[in-house]
Amino acid sequence: MKWEIVHKATSFIAEEMGVSLKKSALSPNIRERMDHSCAIVNEEGKIVAQAEHIPVHLGSFKIGVLNVLNYLEKEGIELEEGDSIIFNDPYISGTHLNDVGVLSPIFYNGKLIGYAVNKAHHVDVGGPLPGSINPTAKTIYEEGVVIPPVKLTRKGSLNDEIIKIIKENFKVPDFSLGDIKAQISANKLGEERVRQLFEKYGDIRQSWEESIDYSRRLALNVINTWKKGEYEAEDYLEWGSSLLPIKIKLRIGEKGIIADFEGTYKQIEGPLNAVLGVTYSAVSFAVRSMVGEVPTNDGFYSLITVKAEEGSLVNPLKPAAVGGGNVETSQRIADVTFLAMSKFLKVPAAASGTMMNIMMGGIYKGKYWSYYETVGGGSGGRPCKDGVAAVQNNMTNTLNTPIEIAERQYPILFIEYRIREGSGGNGLHKGGDGIIRGFKLLSKAKISILADRFKIGPWGLEGGERGKPGRVTINGKDYPSKFTEEVNEGDVIIVETPGGGGYGKAY
Amino acid sequence: MIVAVDVGGTFTDIVGIDENGKITIYKGLTTPKSPEIGVYEGLKKGNFHDVKEIIHATTIATNAILGQVNLELPEVALLTTKGFKDVIEIGRQNRPELYNPFFDKPAPLVPRDKRYEINERVNAEGKIIQKVNEEEVENLIKSIKADAIAISFLHSYINPDNEKIVAQIARKYFKYVSVSHEIAPEPREYERTSTTVLNAKLMPIVSRYLEALESLLRDFSSPPIFIMASSGGLIDKEEASRRPVQIIESGPAAGVVGVAYFSEVLNIKNAISFDMGGTTAKAGTVVDHKIEITTEYEVGGKAHHGRMIKGSGYPVRFPFVDLSEVSAGGGTIIWKDSAGGLRVGPLSAGADPGPISYARGGKDPTLTDANVALGRVESLLSGEMKLDKDGAIKGLNKLGDYVEMANEAIKLANMEMGRAIRLVTVERGLDPEDFTLFAYGGAGPQYAIDLAEEMRISTVVIPPYPGLFSALGLLFADKKYEARKSYPKDLEKDFEELESKVKGKYYLRYADVRYEGQGWEITIPVSDVKKIKEDFETIHRKIYGFTLDRDIEIITIRVFGIVPSYKVTLPKPKTDDKPSVKFRKVYFDEWIETPIYKREELPSNYEIEGPAIIEEYSSTIVIKPNWKGIVDENGFIKISKV
Repeated sequence: MKWEIVHKATSFIAEEMGVSLKKSALSPNIRERMDHSCAIVNEEGKIVAQAEHIPVHLGSFKIGVLNVLNYLEKEGIELEEGDSIIFNDPYISGTHLNDVGVLSPIFYNGKLIGYAVNKAHHVDVGGPLPGSINPTAKTIYEEGVVIPPVKLTRKGSLNDEIIKIIKENFKVPDFSLGDIKAQISANKLGEERVRQLFEKYGDIRQSWEESIDYSRRLALNVINTWKKGEYEAEDYLEWGSSLLPIKIKLRIGEKGIIADFEGTYKQIEGPLNAVLGVTYSAVSFAVRSMVGEVPTNDGFYSLITVKAEEGSLVNPLKPAAVGGGNVETSQRIADVTFLAMSKFLKVPAAASGTMMNIMMGGIYKGKYWSYYETVGGGSGGRPCKDGVAAVQNNMTNTLNTPIEIAERQYPILFIEYRIREGSGGNGLHKGGDGIIRGFKLLSKAKISILADRFKIGPWGLEGGERGKPGRVTINGKDYPSKFTEEVNEGDVIIVETPGGGGYGKAY
Repeated sequence: MIVAVDVGGTFTDIVGIDENGKITIYKGLTTPKSPEIGVYEGLKKGNFHDVKEIIHATTIATNAILGQVNLELPEVALLTTKGFKDVIEIGRQNRPELYNPFFDKPAPLVPRDKRYEINERVNAEGKIIQKVNEEEVENLIKSIKADAIAISFLHSYINPDNEKIVAQIARKYFKYVSVSHEIAPEPREYERTSTTVLNAKLMPIVSRYLEALESLLRDFSSPPIFIMASSGGLIDKEEASRRPVQIIESGPAAGVVGVAYFSEVLNIKNAISFDMGGTTAKAGTVVDHKIEITTEYEVGGKAHHGRMIKGSGYPVRFPFVDLSEVSAGGGTIIWKDSAGGLRVGPLSAGADPGPISYARGGKDPTLTDANVALGRVESLLSGEMKLDKDGAIKGLNKLGDYVEMANEAIKLANMEMGRAIRLVTVERGLDPEDFTLFAYGGAGPQYAIDLAEEMRISTVVIPPYPGLFSALGLLFADKKYEARKSYPKDLEKDFEELESKVKGKYYLRYADVRYEGQGWEITIPVSDVKKIKEDFETIHRKIYGFTLDRDIEIITIRVFGIVPSYKVTLPKPKTDDKPSVKFRKVYFDEWIETPIYKREELPSNYEIEGPAIIEEYSSTIVIKPNWKGIVDENGFIKISKV
């Protein structure tokens, strides 16, 4: 059998798992925003096919699956048919606590032939704050509950012990347990479909290898047209009154790419630390964006190596807090990788560079409510055309919540939602404009913001100017990019997201 | 004679049927600039006479939006709530492509300088918290230069009063006014505004087109015109001119309506409609003779392996026949990428230059070339158009051994098409093995058996005139008028109110329902308002595999008023003919000397064992080994696994 057929069939399996997960999950986060990924992995832990909807998951399996398999071996945990493993420890699985992973072995005629694995963003995984994203967390223990790789099912039946722990710790357990069931059945579907492929085509593991090699060659063909060499770049995250540098040395060689983060700031007592999986995802995202269409499997990943010193902002040591690493630092790592690539390729100027995470909640008419949203910004000016206004950039691509739906469910009245005209950096090709989203609270509430690029706007390229920095005001008073505050009925909050950088000198 | 006219991108198909069941067909080229000319010429050339009714499927709306018609798109001015004029440009904030930094969002339908904010506001409960200042509005509207006006205010689906006041003023100065609560009264401001604006853009185009067509039809004693809506029902000219946004997927809907009708005639419980033409293949399901509808649709949107990519087009909130579409048609190009992987599509050679074997300058081998090289297809139009087999072989040989390449390419295309079927079956909790594959379109009957094998389907049905089947389907459509309301308070009363608004011999009721707090709805048919929760939970369990211990919320209710069409019957095949047989070598995993039949010579109850090829005017049917076909008394060919 031709490997092309197996290749396509396997990638369809990963995608069918994703659809099944999306449809049978409970939480809106997975169902509407598609914050999940699924993959088929071979017996060595190499990704054969992956279906991903959110870029920050791209590549996190590459690190995560091997970590989980190593952990199981170290702990002497053996897998049998019908078993599956649950995990969310970011230091193993590679993103943040909210991403709960489930891995299941696939057996054919009693022999292990690979794994089905998926990861889904749970709306709450415990901890002090709703949503488990805590702008003031100093360690991971102030974010949520850490689950090491343990058995979720044994020979097909659910392990009640772990379920009980989740039930008593996750703050919306009926959503989470529903989502976990959906994750188990997505893997079951994957196992079943892979077994069907073996029945139909025989032992297809060699075809998988060819599929991986194909992806590697396809990507390498592009990378080989890039100028070999070492390219340096530096960008910053804002933390209190200081700027934390993220430095990269990007080495383009015959056999692929090495991203070395030597010189990057050390890990901090705050939520901005990005575990290695996130760092790897962000670098892979930037490279993948410039390589073009290539199957997402180990072939592509095998071309990318990330070197990051332990204890740094981009490879922290436990128990550093990591919630913001996933949603903010990931954006900056992508930015700095693009900036390094700009030295030898025509890449766009920097996009808004923040997800502008807004978390709100309180008691209204006797009921607890909590609301989370991210706001898009401007994309950077491109070598051939302007940037795009008002859009989710780089590591995220979730939908907004319609105003008519949000106003019906929460005590908020929106007063404006418009394009922030003139916020895109000037240039031959202008950066895209950001967004202004303004609303009035109809009830007392607690609001947290986790954002960035409030001090220095997104960079331009080739003489293009910076985009305007982001801004948040409450009743006209400016606030920093990261804070938690009590607000009252009638208070007006206006959020302005950064415009993209400009490309080329304006004339 | 009742005449069905299906104007597609390339061909204008006309099928007429008279009182005696005699069928007249015509296939001619579409005249894109003024499609009514092609229709008029077709009616003349095809000698259609005593026309009592014209039933029409048209691509004019889609083509206008996609800029494929050579006409200036009307300029629309948009009036919105103060603070929200950019909603139409921001969309849902997402980008249509994850990994392409050079992506573009679809251009906003109304440029910023044509968007005007009105100082007005209604809250989520429907309370007016800012009234309209009529004088201010009138002064503003007087100053606007545009061909049409679109009005979309926040929460107008629950309280349209402010919109009504402004619409009344606008209608004093503009002929074409599209108002969101009249077009798509349901929550989600971006989708409703997009629908309203598209409607405003289409109003002048569709009205003028239908008027032009009507005036040409005076030569045929001015029969009434009915238009196929995307929901699979017919609407009259007035409704199509008022809410043209509902005729966007006119043609594809017609085919599925035909499948629904014939599935009843042939007593098929579960049918998959499979329509494959030159550039795409579309699949839908018909369960218990009913078509599936969806309200999630984006015009001009892109699909990724059959799945619509959110944000790639302009959302339209109107019922559509639920179809999934993949880039696989006769003209789809077979190629090798830089790493040597064999690929099929998504590029297509289309009809011009078309496949290499058409000998019209096509350079790249296509799926049609693969079938030509394997001997499955030799000519088109019942032999009128010979195909260049040597050219096809040469083209495929550039990629590798032509037999291997053709075979692999067809397998890859089948997987892609299988995916379209999976999307409308497996992903809705249906098992394709329980379905009959109903294959039509010029290329459908060539691939149907391969596809059935891929999907483990055991029965395939090929209708008469497969290449003209969408036109044929039009003849069997009912008239269908739609009305809806969001957040109903008294279900029975609200349904009755909607029913009093639209014409109908009988009514179908639907509701968009969800569990409280969910972010999406399921559209369910409503038989008894007291049983909505029960029905919703049955469907929820079927699709998602579980139910919740939570209250339900009914977001929007919808009514279709149905006026049944008068049914025509198809001519029956003769019973005594002895068909002629030729032979040629055809490849089915090996070269086999294969019998070739002509479809028009096949009598009813005639049995054909695979391998065999049946040629006809609008298509070629491939019966693979281990499959057996039988002609039924209605002229359908039913092919089953031996």
